[in-house]
Amino acid sequence: MELFDTATVLARVLTTGVVMSIEKSDRELPGLERLLTKQTGRARAVLVNSRTAAIHAALAGQGIGHGDTVAVPEPDAATGRFLNWLGINWLGVSVEDRGTAAYDHVALDSANADQLGELTRAATAPALVVDLTGLGFGPAAAVLTDDDKVWARAERLKIFGAYDLRTMWTQEEASTSLVPGVQFNYRLSPLVAACARMALTQAARPAAPTGARS
Amino acid sequence: MITDFPAAPLPLPDPAELNAELAALGGGAMIPKAARRTLFPVITKEDVFNLMLAQRQAPEKVVADFAEAYRSYVGAAHALPTASGTSSLHMALVGAGVQPGDEVIVPAFTFIATAQAVVAAHAIPVFVDIDPATYCMDPKAAAAAITDRTRALMPVHVHGLPADVAALRALADRHGIALVEDASHAHSAKVGEQVAGSLGDAAGQSLMADKNFPLGGEGGIAFFATEESYDRARAYLERHGIDYDMSWVAAAFGASQLKRLPYYDEIRARNAALLGEALRETGLFTPPHVPDGHVHAYNMYRTTLHPEAVGLEDIPVFAVKEAVHELLVAEGVPAREWQNTPIPCHLPFQHRDGFGNGYPFTLNPGAVRDYRPEDFPVTLGMLDSTLVLCRELRSPVEYERILRYADAFRKVARRPDAIRKLVETRDYRRPYDKAARLG
Repeated sequence: MELFDTATVLARVLTTGVVMSIEKSDRELPGLERLLTKQTGRARAVLVNSRTAAIHAALAGQGIGHGDTVAVPEPDAATGRFLNWLGINWLGVSVEDRGTAAYDHVALDSANADQLGELTRAATAPALVVDLTGLGFGPAAAVLTDDDKVWARAERLKIFGAYDLRTMWTQEEASTSLVPGVQFNYRLSPLVAACARMALTQAARPAAPTGARS
Repeated sequence: MITDFPAAPLPLPDPAELNAELAALGGGAMIPKAARRTLFPVITKEDVFNLMLAQRQAPEKVVADFAEAYRSYVGAAHALPTASGTSSLHMALVGAGVQPGDEVIVPAFTFIATAQAVVAAHAIPVFVDIDPATYCMDPKAAAAAITDRTRALMPVHVHGLPADVAALRALADRHGIALVEDASHAHSAKVGEQVAGSLGDAAGQSLMADKNFPLGGEGGIAFFATEESYDRARAYLERHGIDYDMSWVAAAFGASQLKRLPYYDEIRARNAALLGEALRETGLFTPPHVPDGHVHAYNMYRTTLHPEAVGLEDIPVFAVKEAVHELLVAEGVPAREWQNTPIPCHLPFQHRDGFGNGYPFTLNPGAVRDYRPEDFPVTLGMLDSTLVLCRELRSPVEYERILRYADAFRKVARRPDAIRKLVETRDYRRPYDKAARLG
């Protein structure tokens, strides 16, 4: 993305005064969620602050935790170590066999940011991990899913089990299975989300190269 | 364009309003509805410009420069910037040598992240009660909880008041265990001339945008007293493939905020002193206790209620608190409970599923307890009898706003009759009989 465009996005968000992820009036995080669900055709998005947070959320969302065994799509060495840290036994599967995987994985950068829909079209796993770090605004990622329960659990993992900021972080749930054991702050910053959204939007529809009249 | 410029100015305080009818009973509110939005953080042209400049630098350099500037301000030996306060606490524990299955002593009253960071380190949080004056970890309770498996004490500088570090340091040294600070509320807080974050063997601190020292969204930082601890934390991240990196966007915003932190600190201290003076006049309320030699950062401001001072001693204090809470909110003061249940009684520490199938609690069954609220009587007493202000003391809170907050407390304290009547018409429950709240 052009530096001018990044500067414009950052200045616009700073002008709103809303830079906190748990601010009820934040519009940036829901905006990126909408874009990602639209481009991937998935019903729900969970935004998080790193690729490993997204992997954790994708697995915890399916109730997969310490001591469980899963198939994962061709993990790199760091991902393998992270899965070991989670205590999850894993079996790497090739692209051809990824129908058995617990999640699909796509990493975006400036070269392929316009191809999210294409890259994820063949994805069939219950959760789709989209790494947005390569866009250049710091660690950022998302979990996309059509499963409401995966979404609900992943959301709670990233924000200490809370589910409704309007009720001031109350932890009373209809279903106790939704309450995570270990909980993190995996929340993404609105400023980072705003930049990522602009980068994805411009990749799909490049901005005019010069002034207002062009 | 959506902007953060105030929609309406607040009128200057008017002594006549102190004796007017309470807003909850149909009178005018001390803070009119149109003027209740509390702006935070302060965002200036300098912040915007800093972010623009940061775009032209290597992201790693932006983050490293920020971390070095803040490390120097705190006076810690080493700093590791992270993505959140929780991850910084996790790294502080790891750096201090906490191993899977170890016990870490934490206070029952804190934000849940303190205890969850212990679980993230694959260790077991052991909860102890707090001191009745400071609301920080009680050193005697901590001493009673130490076992052969205890690896660290992790006091929290609650609301911005440093814990009793001298007593806890002596206790830790006596048992050869680490002292790890949770300094998430305590930016610029001090014991003597030493800043929170540099008091222990390691420390974690949240830098999220609702803290006294805000980054551009989410962030945290871990501090270490020795290079060995710092290296241990960094090696842990590499060994386990964990990405806890801070975004350059958050860091760039923090760099310019850091230069204004002393200004923010002075404003909060001024507002806290002004409000404290007003509260003392009321009898019903007292301000936070600050031990000699301690500098409170007032990330939050917890006031204690004394029903006996206004003839309400026959009513349970929690009911008086609930009624006062209702009356203050109606006046436009966003008072809150901020926690209503001891952390060990929250669901994750009742279920103890951890990472799944009970890990890491299964590593050390001897450290696992079925905690009940009654195990923490001091915490319960505090929850019953206190209310909290959060952003309301912070810059850019206007002078007229803090004066009006003070007047709202005065106005409510003058009406024990209204408090009594409200209690009679409501069915208030004790805080921890309700669903547990995180904040």
